[in-house]
Amino acid sequence: MTTQTETRTRTFVQALNEALDLCMEADPEVFLLGEDIGAMGGDFGVTRRLFKKYGATRVRDTPLSEAAIVGTCVGAAMVGMRPVAEIMFADFLGECFDQLVNNAAKVHYMFDGQFKAPMVVRTACGGGFGGGPHHSQSVEGWFLNVPGLVIVAPSTPEEAKGLLISSIEHDNPVLFLEHKALYSSKGEVPEGMYRTPLRSARVARTGSDVTVVATMRMTVEALAAAEQLAAEGIEVEVVDLRTIRPYDAATIIGSVEKTGRAVVAIEAPKTGGLAAELSATIAEECFGVLRGPVVRVAGLDVPIPFSLVLEKYVLPGRDEIVAGVRRAMAS
Amino acid sequence: MWVIRAFELGLEREFAQGNVPGMLHTGLGQEATQVALAAHLESTDVFFPDHRCHGINALAEERHAGTGEKIMAELFGRATGVCSGKGGSLHSANPNVGNFGDNAVEGSYMATVLGVALAAQMRGEPKVACCIIGDGTVGRGEFHESLNMAKIWNLPILYACVNNGYAISTPVAEAHASGDIVDMARGYGITCRQVDGNDIEAAYEAVARAVAEIRAGTGPVFLEFKTWRWQGMFSGEFRPAEEVKHWKEDRDPIKLAREGLLASGEVSEEELDQIAAETTTMIEEWITFAKESPMPDPAKATADVYAGWEFESR
Repeated sequence: MTTQTETRTRTFVQALNEALDLCMEADPEVFLLGEDIGAMGGDFGVTRRLFKKYGATRVRDTPLSEAAIVGTCVGAAMVGMRPVAEIMFADFLGECFDQLVNNAAKVHYMFDGQFKAPMVVRTACGGGFGGGPHHSQSVEGWFLNVPGLVIVAPSTPEEAKGLLISSIEHDNPVLFLEHKALYSSKGEVPEGMYRTPLRSARVARTGSDVTVVATMRMTVEALAAAEQLAAEGIEVEVVDLRTIRPYDAATIIGSVEKTGRAVVAIEAPKTGGLAAELSATIAEECFGVLRGPVVRVAGLDVPIPFSLVLEKYVLPGRDEIVAGVRRAMAS
Repeated sequence: MWVIRAFELGLEREFAQGNVPGMLHTGLGQEATQVALAAHLESTDVFFPDHRCHGINALAEERHAGTGEKIMAELFGRATGVCSGKGGSLHSANPNVGNFGDNAVEGSYMATVLGVALAAQMRGEPKVACCIIGDGTVGRGEFHESLNMAKIWNLPILYACVNNGYAISTPVAEAHASGDIVDMARGYGITCRQVDGNDIEAAYEAVARAVAEIRAGTGPVFLEFKTWRWQGMFSGEFRPAEEVKHWKEDRDPIKLAREGLLASGEVSEEELDQIAAETTTMIEEWITFAKESPMPDPAKATADVYAGWEFESR
């Protein structure tokens, strides 16, 4: 990580690293744990240099024990600490599903508010680089059906930092999704502490003809699609969800009420996931103003194959969003 | 021990009459182990109770909060319960007495206990984090992840494995490759001891020693309490008649304790009978308290889904 102050351009990874550093500096009860996050700095470098600065007690390397990693977070959070775990790949969350779903998400509720679980589980998700079936999945749909869990998913370096700080300071368990394709993306990142609000979507681009609701990499793809379509005279409004659960329905509804058309763009498989949830809400809440059916742009309903040609066929991108917008505009 | 015996017998009666919702897992026959643990855990310690935990939950309440009636009320699903009726038998917690709640997913809290113990270690608190498990839990992956991490991080955890011989209907010998469960834990380099879980004095001494060791900072201790549960399966008794007779008549922990006390000459039969009668009266008062308590307000069902955030229905 560069420490130069003359520039505010940072990668997504550097922005996350800044957030962790600032939170650890501000609060001695914040600590990190995960596989190879110590001297090595994590598989993607997000915890780089923190081991050197804060030591092995607060930047803890663990065995390959995802259930124990997240369980440790739950227990420490129940007594008021603010642990931040790294699960190397989101695909591994099955190993700690019980801890997230049955413990982290429920201790506040089932014990009648006597405990809180102020913890963050960071994880690298998403495909596009030939990671194969177990290193590429978009998992928000697995956890969408779990009351008590917060799911956060940034799409820019600036918001990666602001959302991670908000997540660490938040009193509920946060599943923090970091799309691998965004890790090396660059953007302007403010210095110091700042907070991007949770449970609040952002209108990433204003437009009058059609609303595209997206998250993570698909937000970037949607903005690219919007540029292309603008040349043809189609004005796309892009809503970046930012918090996936509980999501900001009001911003989505407000946008669709303005445009009258909606496309939902999600990388995960189409069936039963976030795309389905959002389109159902739009249909329920905006039926009167919709000029046509909500269009879902999503991954194909297959596991993610290894070969880049196959993977590209499976995962949606700018072209699929453009096609989706055209379909929405045709009705 | 009579508190637990009377509690569970009273609860069985009420359950049979349809007054207690859900499922019932009693700790009958396992009273000595629960008393030994409850006697040594302070309100500033933490324990995660096992599936048959009404007894230790009630004892912790009685010892540190004066009465166990709120545990009874929780089992009846009442507003006066420790979790206002939201947790029930398998999720009764009260951090003020050190009770961090059971978990219906066996062994799940074997991972959770790591965090409580780690926090105590990082903060320099002389806390014991006790995790009570059954023999069936040994089959879970968390058992192994937990023992391993507790050892490499030298965490202040007391693992109390209540081996009552069966996981629902499956005998220990059919479920676990290791002859004794304690041998499995020994493989992680943890201090391990096997204890007669029906002998109150042996159990008491074993917990006292383990708690002292953990407070001194020597790391985790694993105790396997050999005992036997009185409750059969949901459908009734499935174990051989001789086995049932042996454990209920010859190895009843309360009968054994009573014989020991009488032989010592320190108490008389009348005094012990009086203690039992008074305890039963107290438990009946707890049951009355529970039954006369109001049901929770239905609005409570949507409270505390998220800390600090209002419930939003979609």
